[in-house]
Order: sequence, then C-alpha cells, then structure tokens
Amino acid sequence: MSDPKVVDVPVETKEAVAPDVPVLEVRDLTIRYGDKPAIRNVSLVIPERKITAIIGPSGCGKSTLLRQLNRMNDFIPDCNMDGQILYRGIDLYDPEVDPVEVRRRIGMVFQKPNPFPKTIYRNISWGPVINGFKGDLNALVESSLQRAALWEEVKDRLTESALSLSGGQQQRLCIARALALQPEVILMDEPASALDPVSTSRIEDLCFELKERYTIVIVTHNMQQAARISDFTAFLDTGKLVEFGETDQVFTRPREKRTEDYVSGRFG
Amino acid sequence: MSRLLAAPANLRRRHRAARAFRAICTVLTWFCLVLLAVLLVHATREGLPWLDLQFLSEFPSRFPERAGIKSALYGTLWLIGFTALFSIPIGVSAAIYLEEYAGRSRINTAIEVSIANLAGVPSIVYGILGLAVFVRWMALGRSVLAGAMTMSLLILPVIIIASREALRAVPNSIRYAAYALGATKWQTVRHHVLPSALSGILTGTILALSRAIGETAPLIMIGALTYVAFVPSGPMDQFTALPIQIFNWVSRPQQDFHELAAAGIVVLLVVLLLMNAVAVFIRHRSQRYRL
Repeated sequence: MSDPKVVDVPVETKEAVAPDVPVLEVRDLTIRYGDKPAIRNVSLVIPERKITAIIGPSGCGKSTLLRQLNRMNDFIPDCNMDGQILYRGIDLYDPEVDPVEVRRRIGMVFQKPNPFPKTIYRNISWGPVINGFKGDLNALVESSLQRAALWEEVKDRLTESALSLSGGQQQRLCIARALALQPEVILMDEPASALDPVSTSRIEDLCFELKERYTIVIVTHNMQQAARISDFTAFLDTGKLVEFGETDQVFTRPREKRTEDYVSGRFG
Repeated sequence: MSRLLAAPANLRRRHRAARAFRAICTVLTWFCLVLLAVLLVHATREGLPWLDLQFLSEFPSRFPERAGIKSALYGTLWLIGFTALFSIPIGVSAAIYLEEYAGRSRINTAIEVSIANLAGVPSIVYGILGLAVFVRWMALGRSVLAGAMTMSLLILPVIIIASREALRAVPNSIRYAAYALGATKWQTVRHHVLPSALSGILTGTILALSRAIGETAPLIMIGALTYVAFVPSGPMDQFTALPIQIFNWVSRPQQDFHELAAAGIVVLLVVLLLMNAVAVFIRHRSQRYRL
C-alpha cells in the first residue's frame, strides 16, 4: 500500500490544517446493492462537534449511508457507489486512501453490542496496540473508559471477560473501545435499540457529553431519541434525503409534507 | 381437564407422536452405546492378560508369549506426528483462505466441490495415489514420510471442511468490530477469528487424525511392512503401524494371536483417547488464554 493520503493529517493538528473544511461532506451519493439503489443522490454536510441524527422508516437506507461513511460497506459484495464522501476535504474513496486508516479515524458503534470475547482491558487496548500506539496504555484505557462513563463500574474488574458485563455496559465498552483510537468522528448505528430504557438514557447522556470532543452521526429509528439528543437531523425515505436541517426545525416546522407525516407518526 | 381448556382434537395425537419420537431416539442412542461397550469389554477381556510392559517393549515375534507391539506403536507415532505436521498447517491455511479471503469465483466453487468430493473418496484410492506419486515417482520408498504424506492427503479434506465450519461459526459482528477499529484483515483473523474458531478447528483436526490412526488400507497399498523388528529412526525408514500389526495377528490361526490383536486394539484405543485428551486440554487452555 503506497502512502495513504489520510496519514498526512494527524488528528491533533486538524484544525490548524483545515479550519474551514467540513469534517464530513457527502456529495451526490448513490449507493447500490448490485443494480438496486439503496441511497439516491444524497448530499449533506455533517457539522463538526454536533450530533447528527439520521432517521427514516425501516429499509430507507439509513444504515447503508452510515456504513458508507467509514467504508464498512467495502465488506458487502456487490455494494457500489457514485458520488463522493469527503473527510476534511479528502475523498474517502480515492484509490490512494487506505480504508484501514479511514476506519481508525472514523469510529463505529454497532446496533448490537459486540465486545470481543476477551478481557475488558484487552477490548479497549487492542485497537490502539494494533495501530502502533506507543504511549501509556493503562492511562489510555482508563481515560477511554472514563469518557464512556464506564470506568467506575469496571475499574476493579478490568481482567474479567467483557461478556460478563450487562448489555448496556457492553455497549458503553464498545463506545470506549472506539474512543481509545482517538477518532474524530463516531458513527453509531442504532446504538440503543437492543437496550433497556435505563441503559438507553445512559447512552444518550453519553452522546451528549461526547459531542464536546467528537462529531457524532447516529442512526436511529426512534424519533424521540433523535429529537432529544441530536442537533441536526436528516430524514431519509426510500433512499432519498427528504429533509436535512436543525433538529428543532425538522421536528417542529418541517419544510416537507413527507417529513411532517413521518415525525408526527403518520407512517413508518 | 378438557373442561378447563378446550384442547384441539389432534392434541393428544401430537403429544403421542412427540413421545414416540423421543422414545425412538433414546433407544437408538443406547443401542449404539451398548454396542460400543460390548466391543470394548470384549477386547479388553481378551487382551488384558497380554497387556503388560513387555507387550509394549517387545518387537513382534512368531512366539505369542514373546510378541509385542513396540515397532507398530512407534511406527504409528511417527506416522501420526508427520501427518499432523503436514496436514494441519496446510488444511487450516486452506480453510482460512477459502473462508476469509477467497471471493465467490467459479474456480473457488470448483475447489469447494472438489474438496467435498475428496472427503468421500475411499482410502484405498489414496493408497494407490501415494504408491504412484510418493513411493515411486518421488522415490521416497516405503518410508514413514511416504506414509505420512499419503495419510495427509487422505485427511486434508476432512480438516479443511471441519476448519471452515469452525471459521464460519465465528459471528461476523466480531470481524466488523475489529475492522471498525482500523484492523487489517490479517490482524482480524489472527487475533479474533482464529482464537474463536480454535476449539472447533482442533476438534475437527483430532477427529481427522484419529481416522488416520485407524486407517490400514492405504498403508498396505504403499507397502508398509507387516513384520518389522526395528523402530524407525528417521522419516526415511520403513515402518509398520498398529492397525497393520493388529490385522496381521487377527489373520493368524492361533487363538493366542487373536488375543494379542485384542490387546493391540486396546493400545490403539488408549492412543486415541490420549489424543482426544490433549485436544480437550489445549481447548481449555486456549479459552483461558483468550481472556
């Protein structure tokens, strides 16, 4: 692999390098599975250090769009795209960009908590270690767990299996695991849909705290959740971006009839 | 009772069918177990008087009281050692390639079908192949090496199929979790997929090796000896193996030799049990190590 372009922009200096360039920009994106389009001509700019929610009825392509943002769709055979996704002005699908590096910088939390069947400590430390982290690993593990609001619950059991944690704790562990790589963007694919209401509200609180440092894109089928936590909302329907704007506006004064029908619960 | 809950008319029949199915399964299971136990008891009872240190440390002899299975036992250990050395790395690598790396091309489909078919080819055919390719063409002679290579061919399909099953059983969510952390494919496979699949791979491999231990036909085909009064000292030496020695004893008319064969069977079974124990041990350890 020749020098991937993304390497040249260390996270720490990002603002100095590109103060005006949006962190993520989707330009005229079409995604197809085979010939079947799942996302059609979507364009949007993800605002920095804000929570952007992607909502829409089942099968509208929310998750597809999200996974395209860190090249997780590379693993789906027949999945292809047109258009561009720019990360700090760099085309993520440029042949010179290494998808492995993309995923390190744009982290992801999945719908079902998927901790590794290893210790809590190893779950956090593995990502940094394989990416050549050369600092104080213990401190990194602690700070990641603290940022994910999990430290107090697990600090005495770091060598226990991550599978001994409850579902909500496992999901926060997965968030901590993503944070340990010091990403700039975190993508969340319905991170609370498999959790009980208490765990869900903890995840939501956590998102709120995390947006001070990270740009968060969250897919949710729960409109209340989107309304509660997000700053911006994108409403997708059958692969098209119907409306994108500040969450307040989308939920209270939608410009499109279709959006109004959806957020008021008339379909979906 | 029927007044409390109105049961559909066929409920009683459905319950009866369920009970009948359960009874049939239980009977068949016990039938197999009892059959196995009878065989074991029979072999042990016949062979036990002959089982002593002398039996393990003596070479075969035409006098039953002086006969032992030293050469056969060592031959089997050599054979299985080399077979494992060849077949495990190749088999597991092939399984990893097919399961993790190979796409869905026509060639790969052809390879998959071929492997499934090869698993069903009679062992004597591998013996003929071994005789032609390893013994004659590669001029390895009737050596341990030729035997081990033939055995490796024989069990490779089994190892590959079992390992692929084990790899396929690893949930994709683990792979995606690793990829999402900026892991390369190899890091994902090495650190997460393989450890998760290890116990399945080991089970399949041990089963395959167990099959190799019991195989006689291909060894006779490639010319493993029936009377050997020495222990192989290297991979190029001639050898015999436990099943061949047992076969040899069984085919003699004297009762004493039949009992020796029974004792040989007990030794063969003990070797098999030891291999399974090793597999259980490694699996147990690997699970602890994974934490």
